[in-house]
Parts: sequence; C-alpha cells; structure tokens
Amino acid sequence: MKEREGIVLSGLGELVLPYARPLLGIALALLVSAGLILARGANPIVAYAAMLQGAFGSVAALANTGVRAAPLLLSGFAVGLGYKAGLWNIGGTGQIYLGATTATVVGIIPLPVPAWLHLLLAVMAGFVGGALWMLIPAYLCAYRGVNLVCTTLMLDYVAGHLVSYLLHDTPLAAGSFYPMSPLILPTARLPILVKGTSLHAGFVLALVLGGVLYFVLHYTPFGFRTRMVGENPEAARYAGVDVVRWILLVLLICGGLGGLAGAGEVLGLKLRLFDYFEGFVGFEGLALAIMVKGNPLGIILAGIFFGSLKAGASRMQIVTGIGAPMALVIEALAVLFVVAIGFGERGGLARLPQKKTHGKEG
Amino acid sequence: MDMSSITNWLQASIRLSAPLVLTSIGAVYNERVGIVNISIEGSMLVGALAAVAGTFFTGNVAIGTICAIAAGGLLGLVMAYLTVTRNTSHLVAGLALNFFALGATNMGFALLFPTERARVATYPVLSPAELRGVPFFGPVIFNQTVIVWIALILPLVSGWVLYRTSWGLNIRAVGDHPRAVANAGLSVFRLKYVAVILGGVFPGLAGSALTLAELGYFAPNITGGLAWIVLAANNVGKWNPIRVAAACLIFGLTDALQLRFQALGSAIPYQFPLMAPYLLTLIVLFGLTGRAAAGPKTLGLPYDPEAV
Repeated sequence: MKEREGIVLSGLGELVLPYARPLLGIALALLVSAGLILARGANPIVAYAAMLQGAFGSVAALANTGVRAAPLLLSGFAVGLGYKAGLWNIGGTGQIYLGATTATVVGIIPLPVPAWLHLLLAVMAGFVGGALWMLIPAYLCAYRGVNLVCTTLMLDYVAGHLVSYLLHDTPLAAGSFYPMSPLILPTARLPILVKGTSLHAGFVLALVLGGVLYFVLHYTPFGFRTRMVGENPEAARYAGVDVVRWILLVLLICGGLGGLAGAGEVLGLKLRLFDYFEGFVGFEGLALAIMVKGNPLGIILAGIFFGSLKAGASRMQIVTGIGAPMALVIEALAVLFVVAIGFGERGGLARLPQKKTHGKEG
Repeated sequence: MDMSSITNWLQASIRLSAPLVLTSIGAVYNERVGIVNISIEGSMLVGALAAVAGTFFTGNVAIGTICAIAAGGLLGLVMAYLTVTRNTSHLVAGLALNFFALGATNMGFALLFPTERARVATYPVLSPAELRGVPFFGPVIFNQTVIVWIALILPLVSGWVLYRTSWGLNIRAVGDHPRAVANAGLSVFRLKYVAVILGGVFPGLAGSALTLAELGYFAPNITGGLAWIVLAANNVGKWNPIRVAAACLIFGLTDALQLRFQALGSAIPYQFPLMAPYLLTLIVLFGLTGRAAAGPKTLGLPYDPEAV
C-alpha cells in the first residue's frame, strides 16, 4: 500500500518535494492569515513586518523568541519521540503541569547542596514528574492495549485541576493570597543567558536535547529499535525486541521530556507555579510535531517558527492592535495546510479513470 | 438524598448529557463508515461559538442554531476531504482540525466580543406550565429546553435510520465491507463524505446545546475534551445510537453529581469532582480493554479502491 504508480515521483521532484511541501503549507497559511488581517482592517505587510521585528529585530526580540520556543521544543520532542515509535502522546499538557509541580517542590526547598546541584535536582525532578504522570497511560497502553490518545488526553484535564488543588489547599501554596507557590530559590533557577532579557538556559537545553534525540534516533541501537517498533512491531518482536517493555520505556521518556518543558517554564521564566498556567503549549507542541512527522530537527525549526510567531504577536499587537490569538491562528493554519498538502506516507489516492461509473446514486 | 434533590439531579443530568448525546450521533455515523473522527471536538467548539455569535447578532436562537450546524458541518467537510479524498491519517487530520478550531474560536471570540462577555438568549422551554407542574416528570422531562428534547428524540431517529432504512444499511456496510458496497454499484466515497459531514453537523448542534441550553455565553476551549468522552461512550454502546446515547446519559449523571458536590460546598475540594468525568472515562476505557473487535471492521483504515 506504500507505493502507488500514480504518485511515484522521479528525479529532482522526489528530492525537493518532501522539503518544499511544509514550506508551501506555511506560505499558504501566511497568505490566508494576511487575508484575515486585511479583513480586520490592518495592513498585512505592516503587521508581518511588526511581527518580524518583534521576533528577530533586536537582541531582546531574539531572546523573546527563544523564551517562547523553549517549552514548545520540549513538548514537541515529547510527542516526536513517541511518534517515531508509533505512539501518540497527547498528554503534553498534563506532563507540563506535573513536571512544573515537581520541579517547583524541589526548587522551593532550601537544600544543603551547591547551587548547580540544586538546579540539576530540580530539573531532574521535572523529568521524573512528567514521566510519573505518564506511568498510568504507558502501562495501560503497553500491557493492556488501552488507547493511548484517550488516556493521555483525559489526564491532561485531570492534571490542570490537580495543580489547582495543590495551589489552594496544601503547603505548596502556604502564605500566598493568590493560588501560587512561593518563589523558586535563586539556587534552583535556570541561569539567564543574555543580561537584560529573560532568555534562560532552558532554550539551550532544548536545542541540545533536540540534537541528542536526533542522534540517538538515527545512529544508536536504541533509536533503531524505537523506529522499528514504530514501523513494524511484528518485525521488531521477531528481531528480539521486547516490544511491550520498549513501549513502556519510550513513553516514560516522552513523559519526562514533557515534564522538562514544565520545569523549564517555572525554573527559568515564571519562577513560581501558578494554577492553570499552561496555556496551549502542550497542544502547540503536539501540532508542530505532527507538522514535521516527529523529526527532532524539524521540531526545532517548527518550534522556533511557532516561538517567533508568539514573540512577534506582542509587537504586532502594539502596531496594529491584532495580537496573540492571531499567532495561534497562523500556527493552526500552517499545521492544517501542511497536513492537507500531501503530508501522509500513504499519499493521495491516484485518480481512477473509470471513477464516473461509481457515481450512481445509492 | 431526598426526593427533590434526586429530581434536581436527574434534571441536571439530562440537560448536561444533551451535548454529549447530540455529538454521539455524529460519532456513530463516522465510525460506522470506518473513520475515527476526533475532529468532533473541534466541530463542537466552532459550533459553540457560532451559536453564541449567531444569536448575539440576530437575537434569534434558531439562526444561532443554524450557524452552529453550518460551522460544525464545514469542519466536517474539511475532515472528509482530508481523510477520504487525501487519505490522511485520521488521527493526524483530526488533531490538526482540533488545533485549528482552538485557534479559530480563540480569535473569533476575541474579535466578536472584545470587551464584555456577551450573554445571549437561551433555548426556550416549550411545554405548557401545567405539564411542568407534574411531580417528577415535570421537572425531569417537561421543564427542559427544546434542545434537550431534540437530544432525547434524535438517537431514536438515528437508530431507526441506521437499522431500518437502506441508506442506513449502506452506511453500516461501508465500514465493514467497503469493497462489497462498491461492487454493489454504490459510491463508497459519497457515503463516507456524507457520514463525516454529519459527524460535523451533529457536534456543531451539540456546541449550540452546550452554550445556548443554559449558559448563554462562550468561553475559550469550552468543550474541554467532551468529544473524547463521547468516543468512549461510542465504544461502550457498541456503535448503536440508542445504546451510545444511554452511555452518554451515564456520563451526564456523573457530571451532574460532581456539580452537586461543588454546590454543597462539602469537605472535598472542588477540583476533585471536576476531575470525575475524565477519571470515569479512564476507568471505562480500562474496562473495555480487548473489546475492540466489536467495532466496524475497517475502523481507522484507509479505503483504497484499487487494492485487490
């Protein structure tokens, strides 16, 4: 079913198209969005120029793009790794909440350890928190065959309410009037990379992790087995991979990566845990991972693209009055167009010459 | 629990399950033709906003309802194009559409109601006052808005259509044996298209039930994963509209119960009852393990007219 005569490409086309298609999708999304901006009475060129300036126009703008991109990249990896193993982790939101919570707990307790170790422990706590939140869906998926999409998504909503509870009625929120935790201790904060901006080390961590993930997926036995489980579980089983345990392992790492996204947000940017702080980062990470079929390097590019849209939106808001909701629409249109323009490995169906005869009324 | 609070609970349960029941009808048709359609969440969301916006600008609930149906159906059409014509993975197409619906409603909401949270008219209660006074049945059945009645009647209608008409037979056949349907001279593509568009129309209507049955306003991401509960109910009800609707009612009972808990101001923190519907879905999914064979035979698979 993989190959059909109708869609086999040859020569240059085959080489260029896989890269051209996502770019064409993004271009179409920007075009349609320009129409929307026009419909709202603003000049799209002015709006996009403002967006570019707000995303790349200065050191502060670049820093802002990096800050916005960091959680998107990490939650994108959390989906992308699973994607390569044929597993759909829709639970980014929940993992971000839980990773942020565990990182906060470690981050607000004064530990008798050096600062770097405190930070490391807090970041690791974030990973563990996300992985633990994945434990139930991962077990149910690997050992019981329960639909992972449904379980992870249900736990997203549970996680939001759970964090809200923790910030209302427990020592985590002691002494604060609003539902929020105490400040993260200075020893557990991610260092700021560029003075005067909020660009924190979480962005670099995300870039490095993306590179590592790409290397691991393509050049190590772990990666080979993971992709084999994704593409042909039967063959993987025949080759001696314990598929069930492999699924469990991959999913726990996915959960941990999602947890890191949350940890980065509290340890680097927000410096407190707030209730319902997540926004749509988990969904955005999912969307951008879909757009690039889970490829870690693609996730880096798409994540920076999404981050620049979000960073540029505030500048666009000042110049044209059109703000953050527009950025989400551009993201959504980009994903939709990329998916619609021959995204799938299945490809489009070849047109049938005899199709007319099928058209009889049923 | 005394009698009146039981009556109240049942009344709220039926009201709260109306959006679920309406969505489930779309979901049943979808899965019967073999399409796993998670974009019903997105259709419900755009329907919810379209219902409020339509009612707000015309002052007419009926026009708001039509807007909701049209918006949901439009999303269903895109889903049909992606999954049937373009043969995209159902999950990818659905997730992309849900994300699009999230972005579009977020912007539409900011655009239409920039300052105040507009309240609009809600669905009327049609029954005469005497009927509403009947003990038990009065409040539970008769003192419900018209959309709730529609939600109670439609599963029966769609069950009849699915099992007692030739079109329903075609729909059921497409999901199980598409090639046999094609050999019989019917268009598999057309049947799939119609079913998937219906899978947008009914969630769109459900969106209007969500906003116009009681609230009268829209909030971003108001659907909050309801469609996924419906997909679980679909599994529980074995793709039979009436049974699936019954499963949705059980979810409605849970939802109403958790609202009761919140209202009572009990010792349980309010966040825990809020988790209840999602946890119940998880438990149901767990309980259903290994029953997948009962579903339509080509569920989630692409249809390739050329394959032998």
